[in-house]
This record gives sequence, structure tokens and C-alpha cells, in this order.
Amino acid sequence: MSYAYLFKYIIIGDTGVGKSCLLLQFTDKRFQPVHDLTIGVEFGARMITIDQKQIKLQIWDTAGQEAFRSITRSYYRGAAGALLVYDITRRDTFNHLTTWLEDARQHSNSNMVIMLIGNKSDLEAKREVKREEGEAFAREHNLIFMETSAKTAANVEDAFINTAKEIYEKIQEGVFDINNEANGIKIGPQISPTNPNLPAGNSRPQSGSCC
Amino acid sequence: MFRNRNWFGRNVLKPKNVHSLDHLKHLYTVLSKNQNVSESNRGLLVETLRSIAEILIWGDQNDSSVFDFFLEKNMLSFFLKILKQKCGSYVCVQLLQTLNILFENIRNETSLYYLLSNNHVNSIIVHKFDFSDEEVMAYYISFLKTLSLKLNCHTVHFFYNEHTNDFPLYTEAIKFFNHSETMVRIAVRTLTLNVYRVDDKSMLQFIRDKTAAPYFSNLVWFIGNHVLELDTCVHNDMNQLSGRTRLSDLVAEHLDHLHYLNDIVCLNIEDLNVVLIEHLLNKLLIPLYIMSLLPAKNFLNSVQKEKQISISASLSLFLLSQVFIIINERHLVQPLANILLKGSPAALKKQENSSSTSSPSFVCKNLKNSEEVTDEPSDNSLASFLQNRNVVFNSESVDQVNHLVDSSAFSLNITDEEKEQRLAQDIIVKSGSFLEAIFVHLRCKENDYSVLFSLCLLYAIHSNDGIEKSSLKAFLSPGGSDSEIKYNVSFIENLIQIISVGCQQGCRVRLVTLELAIELLKKLVLIDSKSILLDEHFAAIIGTKEESTSLLRTFYKNEDIFLDTFEDEYYDIKKRPLKVAWLMMDSNLLLQPTNTPMTGVEFSKRLPCGEVERVRRAIRVFLLIRDLVLTLSEERESQLPLTDRTTCIPVGTSLDLNNSDLITCTVLSKDGSKTRRFLAMDQNQLILVEPHSRLLGWGITRMAGFLQDIEVTGDKGESNCLHVKIHHTNTGSAFSAKFLFDDHIRCMAAKQKLVKGRLKARKEKMVQIAKLLDIPVGKQATVTPYNMLSARHQSASSVLYGSCYKTPISVSKTLAKVGSSIKYQYVSDTLSDSNKNTPSTSCESSPKMNRLSQVEELQLFNIPAGGLTSVTRDSLQNETSQVQIAESSCSNFSGIEADLGESQINGDDSAGNVKTV
Repeated sequence: MSYAYLFKYIIIGDTGVGKSCLLLQFTDKRFQPVHDLTIGVEFGARMITIDQKQIKLQIWDTAGQEAFRSITRSYYRGAAGALLVYDITRRDTFNHLTTWLEDARQHSNSNMVIMLIGNKSDLEAKREVKREEGEAFAREHNLIFMETSAKTAANVEDAFINTAKEIYEKIQEGVFDINNEANGIKIGPQISPTNPNLPAGNSRPQSGSCC
Repeated sequence: MFRNRNWFGRNVLKPKNVHSLDHLKHLYTVLSKNQNVSESNRGLLVETLRSIAEILIWGDQNDSSVFDFFLEKNMLSFFLKILKQKCGSYVCVQLLQTLNILFENIRNETSLYYLLSNNHVNSIIVHKFDFSDEEVMAYYISFLKTLSLKLNCHTVHFFYNEHTNDFPLYTEAIKFFNHSETMVRIAVRTLTLNVYRVDDKSMLQFIRDKTAAPYFSNLVWFIGNHVLELDTCVHNDMNQLSGRTRLSDLVAEHLDHLHYLNDIVCLNIEDLNVVLIEHLLNKLLIPLYIMSLLPAKNFLNSVQKEKQISISASLSLFLLSQVFIIINERHLVQPLANILLKGSPAALKKQENSSSTSSPSFVCKNLKNSEEVTDEPSDNSLASFLQNRNVVFNSESVDQVNHLVDSSAFSLNITDEEKEQRLAQDIIVKSGSFLEAIFVHLRCKENDYSVLFSLCLLYAIHSNDGIEKSSLKAFLSPGGSDSEIKYNVSFIENLIQIISVGCQQGCRVRLVTLELAIELLKKLVLIDSKSILLDEHFAAIIGTKEESTSLLRTFYKNEDIFLDTFEDEYYDIKKRPLKVAWLMMDSNLLLQPTNTPMTGVEFSKRLPCGEVERVRRAIRVFLLIRDLVLTLSEERESQLPLTDRTTCIPVGTSLDLNNSDLITCTVLSKDGSKTRRFLAMDQNQLILVEPHSRLLGWGITRMAGFLQDIEVTGDKGESNCLHVKIHHTNTGSAFSAKFLFDDHIRCMAAKQKLVKGRLKARKEKMVQIAKLLDIPVGKQATVTPYNMLSARHQSASSVLYGSCYKTPISVSKTLAKVGSSIKYQYVSDTLSDSNKNTPSTSCESSPKMNRLSQVEELQLFNIPAGGLTSVTRDSLQNETSQVQIAESSCSNFSGIEADLGESQINGDDSAGNVKTV
């Protein structure tokens, strides 16, 4: 499973906005979106392709660790991208965005790409935060914005991939110091062109490397 | 990740409903038929494991029989069997993820207990996965972390076995505490904290007895290594960007460590804290941080012998400030503060001999004895040692005073007798050499690099809530037993000297240092907002105020940019008060102070570059010191801000506009909207109103802004049209619109009114500033204040920039320039008048001094210590061109901006060499 780059993401936002569900939906999207099942996970990894390059995304949920200042601090610093999630059916989760953002900006490296996500877009009837409000907030704070639904999987794919594209562009522009792993970016293992593992990725062989 | 696989391709018996007990039964059959992992069934197994997770969670939330079946068939044992076959990362990862999902999502507590009850989970935890596979590692550590989040008084017994003294979840996790992956390290830390906070006596006992010592000593060693790396990094060439990012990473890493330690001690687990604090103090903070404060040669050799490893003193000050800023735990900071304030290497050494604890390489001291250490200042070796130190300091400080900027710096009217008394007093008061070592850094040498750190440390100690205020007595805080000495005199004098030096043109004290010195001084001498400062010291402060005022006077110009800069700086200071905690997070401070903005270092944390920034600096210094003087004399600010922005008429206010001049106009805003408004003006504001609906002749304010901020320009095409820009309005944002008037005449009238209004408003502000600066009102428009002092400052600045490489010819050129500006000299009379009132007679403003000798003296102090040889021909040329810019722009403030760009570029080219100056 070789890759050109590995990007580390974190997911932040109030509890109950669906962070871990988004994560699971993205990394293991065959989980069936059914109305009577809420299921999430705190960590996941997945390979995507950008510009014909294999890029591995590692996503770490920070839920349940807010009590410890040292932990949140370190998480922010170790990530190249952050998904800042609120729940469109709960106004308070939107109101807390500023605090989350301040925290993120203070602790993260200045190049971290932050994407704002209004989750639960399937619950249109219960909507409390207008799409325009999310857009305006994103514009004001220079974030990418998207409304998603972990339930219907709408836009989930794009949310993660667009963030990756942004990071990738920054790498191309030379903004990120890719040799510095503290930025949440890692260069894949250097492989010679003859190595059979190189064209891996989508057509990944059934057997991984053995233990 | 596992897309595009037809996962029931080979199985005909697939039930229709994926979320049902039947489906789980089906999966069970699949598992039991495929207990041996092979190349062919890998895919099938992975899909089965994934489906099990999904269906179990569905069952947990909807149908309890699902879970019962899972437990009944002991399906977890299959997991273990699969693992034991060395199944490859593909299966491993899915297995771990299934477990993650399981433990993360189960809500039913009984289900959770059942899952944990048969020790399978512990067997999985201790399984030797292939941790070299980064994916397996990540999923494994997430699994452990997820489990740790489920820990509480009830569940902990499934993981911790009291009888066998076994706690694999914890012991396996801490093996990775120093893993190369950041995220893995963070997960381990999270896990440890989650474990510690479970209130279970026997478990904590286990942690302390079996793991605390090795874990904490490893942790401490790890931090120590980071610090050494940081030390190397600081000494390396920091012109490389990669070096600087490395530096900032290491600083952030150190902060992470401290926050982690603080998170642990804040959990208040006494047993654990004792071990942790002992390790921290005796293996890291004392031997590495505190001992590094001592200069290598001057100190007791016996101590140094054992101390092979050390870091630079300034870095140690920086790191210790971080410690005192972040950690407030009494048992850690109190002994640390005692050692810093009252301890000495000799006392530490003695302590070590008497204690039996052995330590491999560092000076070691027992935690519980640390209080005693501080109680024996009457040690013989200490006393003699102190005396020696004082001798060294005296000769040094004379040196330094001459060395620093203009020598006027700080001269109180003290007789020799008094000096001797002071000295004796000092020896008594400064009973500790570590404190002395900190104080040494308060004296600026070629720059204020370590002055800032030393101030920060003292500030942090003083503000730390974990330190008994009584232990600060006689060292930092007021209220010593002797009624005459209310504070540490020499320390306060040190602070005043920093402030005094910081007030001068061309000095190398950064604004942030000046501000911190002021803040610290305020903290130390204000009790219930009353100043306890001795008269002579207060007089010295007044002297610095005069100094800063006269410096700003030299920049005072009746030009738009001066007023705008003045107001901007005022609001900037108000908006961003100094935060020491944030200051100490900035790794840029560890770089040598620079003046080029191209390093990305904020203005207040570097030296000014170019004329505009020198003006900004002068304004800031003036404002900071003015505030200090007002606070000390318990006066309220009555003259600032120049414009009270809160007096701007709020939107919606009804105004009686009978008898006011009103001009009708249509406001065309940028977004294309058109509104009909009346334009009115009061003394200093422009107001747009619409008629009141009920009261005749009244209007309702729709927009108001200050006339001084208005920019009005006519329209080339339309003669009845004006473009109006206002920088600050009552709506908070800037305003920009096109005003359309009924005809050309009304347009002209409006323009005239606005322009006049603006001029008048600005003139008033300038008069206000003139008052602040004691410039005689009325003359300032025609005569630019100038005096000997400023003339000297100007030559000082050019000499400083051209430094001493300039040939005698260029020096005389500077002199000629000084001569040419003598016509402005009248102000110096007023200046020296005002100086007579204060005891601080700065030798600079003394008119008797021979001008030529002044220049010579300037050159002397500017000669860098051994820095001359490193200047290349190129940089010399750059320097010279810079000087020319400085000279040409000295008298022409408005022409600066164009020149500035050029001088910055030059500045950067020669940055490497300039630093050595």
C-alpha cells in the first residue's frame, strides 16, 4: 500500500454533531445509511487519488479528550487538515464555531487547511442554521464550506477530498515543509520504479504485506 | 478502503435483511467455516468482520437478541484465533477497526461488561502485532485509546487484574510513549490521562509502584533530550527557513510536554505526583535548567564537574518561564521557586552529599529536603561566593553602562557612601546566587536577548498562583521586614535602567522588553494601586518620561501620516495588551533580535527598521511610559485617546437639526443601492440623517463618522458628485460611497465644508498631541522642534547604521548635517528647563558638551564587540546606501514610504552581518 503522501486530519466540533459518523462514512463507506443506526469511529484511514497520485488520508477524531489541554493542543499541531463540524439542526453548535476556530488557529501550524462542515443536511425539516449563514461564516474566516450528511453520504466524499486537494495544492506551491512531519504530512516510502507495489492503490492486491 | 468487492459472491445463503439476527447467524457460520486464514478467504473474512461490527451496533441499539447470540457463541474467540495466525495487515486492520467500532458505539452497559468479561480483549491487547506497519500501529493505538475512554471504576477491573498485578492496557500503551509518530504519542498520552483519572486505589497503587518510576523517568529523559536538541538548534544558523521551523516545532513540543505534565499533576493524585515531581525536579529542572543558569567558568568547580550537560543560560530562562507560566502545582513550583530565589549551587551541592540518593549523571537532591535547602543561606562558602560575585558584577556593570546606547542611561544622585550601604544591603537581600544569575541577564549587553527572558521568568514566578507570596518577600515583592526597604532596590533600579535605555533613539531594547519591564515594575511597586516607589526612583521614571517625550518631539510633524500613526499605535496598544503566556510561546524570540520585518517577526518583538518604524516606536514608547507615570501617580488619563470613538453618534439617534446646515444628497453605495439622505456636520463628525417621522426639523442618524478620517475627492465626469471614504464609522466598518448632489453649487459647498472640517479636526488633534509633548501651541505649524538632543540622535542613528566602518569623511558629513539643522535649536532651552526639575540630568541634553567629542563617544559605544571582521565588502556598501536613505529622509517624513522598500531590501541582504554589530 504505497502512497505519495500521507495527510493527517483531525475532526473538531461540539459533541453530537456527527464527527465520528462522518469519519466512518468516509473511510468505510459501505456502512449502510439506515435511519435507525448511528455508528461512528474515532480513527480511520483511506486512500484517495489526486492528480494521479495516491494519497493516504489518516483521520483522527478528537472527541472525548477536551478535558485535557495538552491533548487538544498536540492534535492541532500534528494535523495538516481539520474538518470543523457543526450540526445544521442545532444553532448552538454553530455558535460555538468561533471558539473552535480560535483554538485551532492558535495551536495549529498556520498552513493547516480548515474545512467548515454543516452536517445532517438530510434533516431539512429541523434545520436551524441556514446554508447562507454557513457560507458567510466560511467566507469571513477564509474556510472552505460544505453541507454534508453522514447518513445519506451526501458530499462526505467531497468534503474530505476537497480538503486534501487544498493541502496538495499548498504542497505544490511550496507552502508546506513536507520534510517536517510535525506538519501532519508525510512523504510515502521511496520506491524504485521496478517495485511491483507501485501501481497499487485502487487495484490493491488481496494480500497485504505479511506480519 | 475495501470498496468494489462483491462480498457475498460466494455465498448463496445470504439473508435478505442485513440488520437481523439471522444475518449474524449467517456470519457466524461463515466465520466458523473459515477459521484458517488463507489467501483465498481473506476478502471474505474482512467483509464478515466488517458486517459483524455493523450488525452488533444495530443490535445494541435495536434488538438485544443479536448481542446475546454473539456472546453465546463466544465470537470474540474467533477474532483471537484469526489474529494468532499471523493473518497479515489486511485482516488485522479490519479486525482492529471492528473492535474499535464495537467499543466506541456500544451504549448498553451490560453488553459492554459481557464483551470485556472473558479476558479476550486483554489477549488482543498483548498480541504482538506487526507494529512496523504504520497502519496496524495506528489502528492498534486507536483501539487502546478507545478502550481507555471506556474506563471507569467498574470497567477498570476488566483491564487491571489486582491478583496477578497485570494491567496490559496501560503497560502495553506506555511502551509507545516515544513513538516516532506524533499521533501515536498523543494517543498514548490520552490513554495515560484517562487511566489516571479513574479513581481506583489499588489500580493507582499499581501504577505508582510498578510503572511510575520507569515511565516518568523515561518521560523526563525524553524531555531533556528535546531540550538539548533545542539548544543545538538555537545555536545553529537560523537564517535557514527549515532551521526556524525546526526551532518552532521544538518549542511547541516543549510546551506540549509541560502541558501534559500539568494535566497529570492537575488530576491531583498525590502518590503519582510525588514520584513525578521528584523526577522532574531532580532529573530535569534542577540539573539541566537551573544549573545552566550559572556561567560555566565562574562557578564552583565541584558542582560543575558533575554537571557535564548544560544548555545556554538564556534558553534556560526561556524554558523556566514556560514552566512557571504553565504549571501552578504548589509542590512543584514552590521548591523550584525557593531554589531560584534563595538557593545556590553550594547549598545544592551540600544537600546532595547529605542525601543518600544516587543519580547517574545529574546533581540529585531529595524532594522532601528542598525546603531545608533554602533555609541555610548562612553557609560559609555561599557568603564568600556571593562576595566574589558582587565584585565581578560591579566592574561589569560599569562596563555595561558605558557599553549600552547613550551613556546617560541611568544616573541617580547617590553618594558613594550610599552606594556602599546599598551594596551591603544587596548582599543581605540577595542571599541566593541563582537569583543573582537571573539578575545578571537583566543588564543589557549588546542587545536585550536574554533581558527579555529574564524579565519573563521573574514575571512568571511573581504571577504563579502555586507560589506562596511570602516566599517572594524581599526578593521580588514589596513588604520586607525592614520598613525602609519596601522592595528589592537593586532589582527595581535594574528595571528602571531597562526602561530608561529603552526610551532612547537607536537603542537595542525591543518594545516588548520595555513593555514587560514596565508591567513588572507596576506589579512590584503597586499595592492596592498605590505606588510605594521611593522618590528617587519615581524621579528616574519621570526622567524617562522626559526622555521619551523629547524623542517623540523630534518626530513631531504636522502631516497626516503622523496623526494617523499616532492614533493607530494608541489603539493597537489598547487592543493587544501584553500577554506573557503567549509571548513565551513564540519561538522567534530565540532568534537573535533583528530589525528587518522580512523575518515575519512582529514589530514589537524586533527593532525598528527605517524611519517610519522609528516614529512608530517613539510613539509607543511615549504612550507606554506615559501610562506608567500616570499609574504610579494614581492619575487618570485625561488627554487620550485623541478621539474617543465611543462618542460617535450611534445609528438611530434622533437629532434636533433645526438651525443646522443640511445638504440633500443621494448616497450611492458600492453595492449599487441608492438612498436619499441629508448631510449634516457637528464639530467633528459627519452625519447622514433621514427626516424624523414625527418631529419636524429632527432627523434620525443613519451613519456617522469622524471628519478627521474623511477622504473627499471630486468626480472628473460629474461635477455634482463626490467620492467619500471614512475609515471609522459608527457601524464599525469603513464607509465608502458616492454622494450625488442636486447641483454643482451644492456639491462644491459640501466639499468645502468637508475638507475644512477635516482640516480643522486634524489641526485640533495635532494641538492635542503638541500639548502631550509639551510643544508650545501655535508655533508647531511653522517650526519643527529640534534640539541638540535630537540632532545628536540623528547622527547617532546614522552612525549606528553606518556603524563604525564609516570613514572620518562621512562622519564629518553627518556633522555638517547636524550643523545645518541648528536653526531649530530653540526648543532645547525649554527642554533643559524641564530637566532641571528632575534629578536625572541626562548628559546628552547638556549644551556644554563639545559636539565633536559626542560623536567620538557615539562611535565608541557603537563599536561591536569583535564584530568588525565579519563584515563583507558587500554589506558595507549596503550599509552605506542605507545611511544615505536615512539621511535624505530624516527631514522629509512624507517621502519615506518610497525609500523604505529599498532600505528593507538592503537590510535583508546584509541581515546576517548586521546582527553581529
